[in-house]
Amino acid sequence: MQLSATSELAASGLERHISMDVAALAEDFETLVRLYRPKVFRFALASLRDVDAAETVTQDCFLRAYQARERFRQDCSMHTWLMQIAVNLIRDHIRNRRFQFWRRARLTAKPVDVAGHALADRAQSPEAQALIQERVAAIWTAAERLPEKQRTVFLLRFVEEMDLLEIAVVTGMKEGTVKTHLFRALRAVRERIGETA
Amino acid sequence: MIAHLSAEQLSKYILGQPSALVARHVQHCPACRAELIQFRDALGEFRGAVRAWSEDRADKYQAGNYQEDTALASPAAVSGPWLGWASHQLPWALLIAVVCIIASFVFPRHPGENAPASDAVLLNQVDAQVSRTAPSSMEPLMRLVVEKQ
Repeated sequence: MQLSATSELAASGLERHISMDVAALAEDFETLVRLYRPKVFRFALASLRDVDAAETVTQDCFLRAYQARERFRQDCSMHTWLMQIAVNLIRDHIRNRRFQFWRRARLTAKPVDVAGHALADRAQSPEAQALIQERVAAIWTAAERLPEKQRTVFLLRFVEEMDLLEIAVVTGMKEGTVKTHLFRALRAVRERIGETA
Repeated sequence: MIAHLSAEQLSKYILGQPSALVARHVQHCPACRAELIQFRDALGEFRGAVRAWSEDRADKYQAGNYQEDTALASPAAVSGPWLGWASHQLPWALLIAVVCIIASFVFPRHPGENAPASDAVLLNQVDAQVSRTAPSSMEPLMRLVVEKQ
């Protein structure tokens, strides 16, 4: 598989810019950070729900990518490779956090609150906005309660819009296992939406 | 013909892997179609909300932590791992220190408490040795001499 960016990057004309050999990648690491940092941060934030922790994971992710840039074999996309690093870091972070019982996540807002503002701009009726907020909140809660692996594949599929094969590479699972986790996650989420409806 | 979609069939459809039978059913069943659209919309709204939230958080974080951001731009300069380790281990170290301090009050050690008694015994032994007029091996003979006198 060729080193290539996602369709979003292709659309922005940047794909060609990062479809380069590893040496060029090392030189242009800042471009790489600029392109992929929002995605890694978003996934880390959705997984950990802690801004500081997500920032730390994002920094560690690019630090490790920088240190391991010569070992990048180009057998998957740069995005997949970075997400693979991020998934491992997040898993480690969650395991460490189990022992940090005194630490409290510093969250100031949930996506539900932000969705409210975003939807207000679309001039929808207050009832429609409330309904959407309720559904987003239900999925957010359901995702929080999912087991770690199910949550990871759920977020990779439905927030990062990765396909099953990419998720399998990122998580190191078989495609069938990814599918099983996704089915279970979807069922839990759907049940949660049903409870709130 | 199937009655309505099961949870698994619905999930397969959402993941873009419906069987021909399921796809045909969705075409002809308004209830299942409505449920699918509603679920798909909800997932889309969730995606939009998380993305907006993430951008919002990132903007606010970077506005307040510009130094960290510039450090990321040059990864070689980042000295994160040790700091990360320290921040994780420091609370444990403090906790252990506090436990040790409390333990020192709860289980006090008084090494000098029995010292005077043992010192007195030792001094008596030394006095006894020093005050002997003959070595210990000669003591029985000395006793005989004393008895004769």
